[in-house]
Amino acid sequence: MSEAAPGAASLEPPRGRSVLGDLADLFPRSGFLVTVPATLLVFFGLVLPVGYLLLLSFNPARAGVTDLTSDITFANYLRLVGDAYYWRILGRTLWIAAVVTVLSTTLGFLLAVSLWQSNPRWKGLLTVIVLAPLLVSIVARTFGWIIILGSKGIINKLLLSLGLPALQVMYTDVAVIIGLVHVLLPYAVLTILASLDRLDATLPEAAKTLGANGAVVLRDIIFPLALPGIVASGTIVFSLAMSSYVTPAMMGAANSSVITTVIYQQFVVNFNWHFGAVLVAILLAASLLTILFTLSALARFGRRFGEAL
Amino acid sequence: MKADASEIVVKTIVLLLYAFLLAPLVMVVATSFGSDAVESFPPRDFSLIWYAKALAEPSFMQGLKTSLWIAAAATLIATPLGAAAAFGIHRGRFPGRNVLQALLLAPLLVPGLVTGIALLVAFTALDVGTAPERLLFGHALVILPYSIRTTLASLVRLDPALEEAAGLFGASRLQTLVYVTLPSIAQGIFAGALFGFILSFDEAALSLFLIDVDTVTLPIAIMSHIEYSIDPSVTALSSMMIMATLLLMILIERLFGLRRLLGA
Repeated sequence: MSEAAPGAASLEPPRGRSVLGDLADLFPRSGFLVTVPATLLVFFGLVLPVGYLLLLSFNPARAGVTDLTSDITFANYLRLVGDAYYWRILGRTLWIAAVVTVLSTTLGFLLAVSLWQSNPRWKGLLTVIVLAPLLVSIVARTFGWIIILGSKGIINKLLLSLGLPALQVMYTDVAVIIGLVHVLLPYAVLTILASLDRLDATLPEAAKTLGANGAVVLRDIIFPLALPGIVASGTIVFSLAMSSYVTPAMMGAANSSVITTVIYQQFVVNFNWHFGAVLVAILLAASLLTILFTLSALARFGRRFGEAL
Repeated sequence: MKADASEIVVKTIVLLLYAFLLAPLVMVVATSFGSDAVESFPPRDFSLIWYAKALAEPSFMQGLKTSLWIAAAATLIATPLGAAAAFGIHRGRFPGRNVLQALLLAPLLVPGLVTGIALLVAFTALDVGTAPERLLFGHALVILPYSIRTTLASLVRLDPALEEAAGLFGASRLQTLVYVTLPSIAQGIFAGALFGFILSFDEAALSLFLIDVDTVTLPIAIMSHIEYSIDPSVTALSSMMIMATLLLMILIERLFGLRRLLGA
């Protein structure tokens, strides 16, 4: 992708044509210039602010103080390590993310295979359905789950009409997991599809001709070949599940926090920015570790598979 | 080819998954057309009363206006910046282009919550920006990578022979750019812009930290409304958002292909 198109190099600039032509000559070679505005936006909008925030975590916690001082301390980190409450939060965050990852990746694999083998006529429509949760506003989506899972929701009405007791699903960890699987499934499908697209589409047919049934084709042929995509999907889903805020905030119980809802509390309710910055550092470090772990796992698959990321 | 039992099981699971993906969206749209005061499914009658109520609610209309202009302005900023950067990365001859590309796509990797907090801290420490300016800056930053990605994908797909031919026929580089290159990748850039618009319009986690009392985006207006009461006017509003998003998605799929846009 970073390699220039081969033709661009052989495009000899016509010499001595016009001022405009000379101006345009500047363009391809000093391509760096045109990247400057976007780079400035990302540098000043993301790199500096996140760096500043991380440095803030090493300053003593003082409410209302946002200036960096040279007073370096690890007190905020020690407070986190010494408090069992935060270990429970981290544990619950990782647990929910793990369940969501297993569900999204397993179901995403089946969905990706079906999309891969689907009739080209319907592929566009099916793609729109699979990707819809990704793009439809999280607020509207969550509202749909309230209609389905709420205490007076469709599922409970159905249960009551069958004479069964109502279920409390909304505002529990189960609701958070359902909401997260719903929105992260599209990422899993996309990542696994990228792996499948490298395969020969006639492979399943060939295996069936040789006598394998559907389950065997899935397990022994498609699954091993899609493994790099499955691992990559797991990473993406895990780090997105850990760092999602709106779904746990809107669908989870008020007393059942995850790291992102605690971060929100520290910054918006408690105004303890220095300690909140520690939690942000932990969240970013966990995402980074997940990605590094996967990269090394993929490297073990060999160079051929590394391209799947 | 004869279907076996395992195939039927897999097909059933896949069908259920499609139902799972669509269920909350379909339910919102279906219940929004009833007149019941409590959202109920199936709706007992057909009515647009809650649409009228939603459109008459001042906080929603204010939020809609804010979200629309921020999404439009952020798209207008991010699209040319991203397209230009993609040109530089693809055609430039300077070292470190891989690193630059990774840096420019970084807003995708950092969670919206973290970006929002980092911007809040930076804006507060420097004491700059009003809420609309902060929102605009944050949204442009977050949708920038999509513009870069679609432009890059279009450039990679562009047949270099086209530009070569233009040069052979005597077009200057600027003429080639304006009359050959840009028209060939315009669809991709436009699809990226539409996608950025949707993302910005629906954004919630980042905006939470950049709003103030007078400037609230629509998703956040709905979120705070749900905290007090769940009434069908929210259903009607959500239903409108869902239908608008699906229409734009179909448009993007036709123009460019959703999967290519998402980088898979």
